[in-house]
Amino acid sequence: MPDRKSSSHAGRGLTAFLLSAPALLGLLLFVLLPFLLAAALSLTNLRLGSPLPLEWMGLEQYRRILHDPTFRHALLNNLLFVVTVVPVQTVLALALAVLLNQRLGAIAWFRVLFFMPVVFPLSLVAVIWVLIFAPGPDGPMNALLELISFGAWTPRDFLHDEQLALSAIMLTSIWQGTGFQMVVILAGLQAISAELNEAATIDGAGCWQRFWFVTLPQLRNTLIFVVLVTTILAFRLFDQVQIMTQGGPHDATTTVMFEAVQTAFSRQQIGRGAAMTVVMFLVVLLLSLLQRRIARQQREVS
Amino acid sequence: MKRLLTPLTYLCLLLCGLLFISPVGFLLIGSLKPDDLVLVESGGWRALWPTSASLENYRDVFTRVDFTRYLLNSLFINGMILGTGLLVNSIAGYSFARLPWRGRGLLFNLVLAVMIIPLEAIAVPLFYIVSLLGWRDTYLVQILPFIANAFSIYLFYTYFIGLPRELEEAARIDGAGVVRTFIDIIVPNAKPVFASVAILTFLTQWGAFLWPLLVTSSEAVRPLPLAIATFHGLPPLRWGDLFAFGVMMVLPILSVFLLFQRLFVRGVAATGIKG
Amino acid sequence: MLRYLLIGLAVLLAACGEQAGKQASTAAVIDVWAHAGQASERRVLEQQVARFNAARKTTRVQLTFIPERSYNAQIQAAAVAGDLPDALEFDGPFLFNYAWQGHLQPLDGLLAARTLEGLLPSIVSQGEYLGHFYGVGTFDSGLGLYARRSALETAGARIPSGPENAWTSDEFVGVLKSLASRDPDGMVLDLKLNYSGEWFTYAFSPLLQSAGGDLIDRGGRGTAEGVLNGPNAVTAMRILQNWFVAGYVDPNVDDAAFISGRVALSWAGHWEYPRYAAALGDDLVLLPLPDLGAGSRTGQGSWVWGITRRSGNQQAAARFLEFLLEPDEVLAMASANGAVPATRLAVERSPLYGVAGKLRLFTRQLLGGFSIPRPQTPAYPVITSAFQQAVADIRNNGDIQTALDKAAGLIDQDIRDNKGYPPPD
Repeated sequence: MPDRKSSSHAGRGLTAFLLSAPALLGLLLFVLLPFLLAAALSLTNLRLGSPLPLEWMGLEQYRRILHDPTFRHALLNNLLFVVTVVPVQTVLALALAVLLNQRLGAIAWFRVLFFMPVVFPLSLVAVIWVLIFAPGPDGPMNALLELISFGAWTPRDFLHDEQLALSAIMLTSIWQGTGFQMVVILAGLQAISAELNEAATIDGAGCWQRFWFVTLPQLRNTLIFVVLVTTILAFRLFDQVQIMTQGGPHDATTTVMFEAVQTAFSRQQIGRGAAMTVVMFLVVLLLSLLQRRIARQQREVS
Repeated sequence: MKRLLTPLTYLCLLLCGLLFISPVGFLLIGSLKPDDLVLVESGGWRALWPTSASLENYRDVFTRVDFTRYLLNSLFINGMILGTGLLVNSIAGYSFARLPWRGRGLLFNLVLAVMIIPLEAIAVPLFYIVSLLGWRDTYLVQILPFIANAFSIYLFYTYFIGLPRELEEAARIDGAGVVRTFIDIIVPNAKPVFASVAILTFLTQWGAFLWPLLVTSSEAVRPLPLAIATFHGLPPLRWGDLFAFGVMMVLPILSVFLLFQRLFVRGVAATGIKG
Repeated sequence: MLRYLLIGLAVLLAACGEQAGKQASTAAVIDVWAHAGQASERRVLEQQVARFNAARKTTRVQLTFIPERSYNAQIQAAAVAGDLPDALEFDGPFLFNYAWQGHLQPLDGLLAARTLEGLLPSIVSQGEYLGHFYGVGTFDSGLGLYARRSALETAGARIPSGPENAWTSDEFVGVLKSLASRDPDGMVLDLKLNYSGEWFTYAFSPLLQSAGGDLIDRGGRGTAEGVLNGPNAVTAMRILQNWFVAGYVDPNVDDAAFISGRVALSWAGHWEYPRYAAALGDDLVLLPLPDLGAGSRTGQGSWVWGITRRSGNQQAAARFLEFLLEPDEVLAMASANGAVPATRLAVERSPLYGVAGKLRLFTRQLLGGFSIPRPQTPAYPVITSAFQQAVADIRNNGDIQTALDKAAGLIDQDIRDNKGYPPPD
């Protein structure tokens, strides 16, 4: 009965669509629509609460922010953050995951230990690290550096030091984020079949060789995923900046998200803030397309 | 790789681990100390030693804010997001992964694109929308926008795609419809991914600050992270109280994680996270 | 395990559902928002509301405390949503922006003339915009230098008797230097760097004015160019920066620099008096801020009350404000937060601010023209945000002219974008 089959097929199609409908509706209403609205607002001079009539500005807001040294600094900081934190955090997480990929009782505790910071809300993490970076010899970080340098370290005010502030925020973020990546990579490691490693061992491969030629290629997709997610999160960097440095000193730690929120809420310039978020979206979109393309090429090569 | 774990690497790992966890120790120990000692003793070993321990700070937290109220609000809001989110996103992920329908590919790409839009980027327009709807200062406004989640859909999608087709084939031959198949066959086989999504949702939502700040004003509906502003913004700063508040704020989420830890790792392993 | 989670969820749902659906009363309810200030302040306000409610049958004040952090953003958000309460408290200088946006109802016709007459001139000037009176504070603020008398005496410093003979800039640096030579880490001045936001404008814009500069040109154009980045303002900020460069300023992360004895001088507001007095006793002395050439200048203004235009209960809300301005209530609040009471009557009765009071300096500053209100313009949110940024840069040893140019540019751009903030129709 071809008829019945096709009608049931159509019915299945409808059910299938209906299953995804609530989520799609939610995304449409609460993410896509506001985003399109933001894009539209970025072409206006909208100001929070202003009684003046709304004015069309074309691309003026974009021209302004791209000529604004602070905003350019923010973009640069985001990029700096990404190119530092993503590799460091990934390598660290990979190292931890390889070390902890054992089935021993004590090892499970180590996993929990390294994952622990992940469960801390960023706002709380930032507050703790403000104290850790406290200036003067009594600040924990200063004290630690003094201890391991046998007294050679002179105390610095990390969060108000142009050279150190961004690194301090990076360290905080790495501390908080590594555990998550570690678990993800650990999961990837556990999916690698034991036979592959055994075969390599029989062929006479050493520890490092197995890592380079068996483990790493098998982890490729996991690592691509990890890098992508970390990159996106790095572009969202906001809480730490807000609590630890307020973007200073001299814009050394400001980020696109921080500038956007500052512009929209402290200065009430919604149009300008919206333009900033659109620029950020475009950059991240570009990066993730690029990343996907690289991933695909590699897949084809291998 | 047994050889990797020589006593030396073990020791190294132990040291790294201790250093790594020391900020947590600092928080926990600090929460037991009198306010003025927290900072004074922060520069040495005493930062990690309860020189004079008491639960005074914890009592202070309860007297300074209605902690229970905020905690209940947070639990309720996160519970609702979690419950409805798991349902809504899992069926969407299933539909994208396993069911043929027109426009599926296009819409899925849209979901992927939406994944990179952070809340901060759309907070203002979203705020205008919910204001028009008259949802300010409710639980609803803190729940509804966060139920549908592109990342969760993506995780479910990749997990379901990896499940063997035979599972459903058998059910279909038995005459089960799409919904039946999902409930009876898919869900029981997908506990790990549910656990992963649950934990990830909880992790991202529990600390939400900016949004509730904008859309709520009364204590009756405000969540925990807003209460911490009461501690942090007000001079004189009482670090001990702040730390005690922090510990209590983390406890629920930590226990959820410890409870589902095993499932979580399995879920992460089985989803597309591994590709 | 999922099952337990679901059961837990259901229990929670039930619990919260119950708590959400209470409250019913016949009296007209006035919604009032206040900032969640210090515990003592909150407690007094709660008691005042209780007294007010107990005395009246027809109106009931419902009080909500809003955290101080991002207070303006929260008010703006509520305003957009049409969700403002009947009466609310806000930081004084933001009044002009709210009034310009049309959120506030003039109080001239609402409050009894008797209430308005007794107010301190500083309170009146802080509340006026375009000929109307939009906000009334029950207290004003005081800003000065708290000092350890014994340390000053050891350092051989002159102790100024009032704002007329404040230390000159050179004299001040001399005092710092002398104090630093007797201090183990050389850090002798607390500028409350642990605070954030509005403090930096409140505390350091008086330096601009004391050197003959200002945040904006108050007379004519109302713009910042040539004023905020003019030579006088640059001089003022250079003096400030030099204190940092010389290492005199304690970072004060723990907010205990002064009471723990690490520093001898603390640049702080009236609100620190109770804590400082308790720690130092008779050794505590209050001094005016240094004079950078055009006389000692200081800050004024604090939280004020306003009534919203869209409130349906303006008369009832006005009665509540009048109640808060009754001498007893003003004094009750002032003794809780240590602020300068807002009415002349209350000032004279106050043990701290009266003729022989320990904080009489604050009164003299407010009545003698030494205190300068922050700019009375709707552009204030941008002005303060830009200046705070500039101070942060200057503190971190940035180039002063660059920092001030940037701030002036931001402010004037905003004023242009708003067509010079034309008066609403």
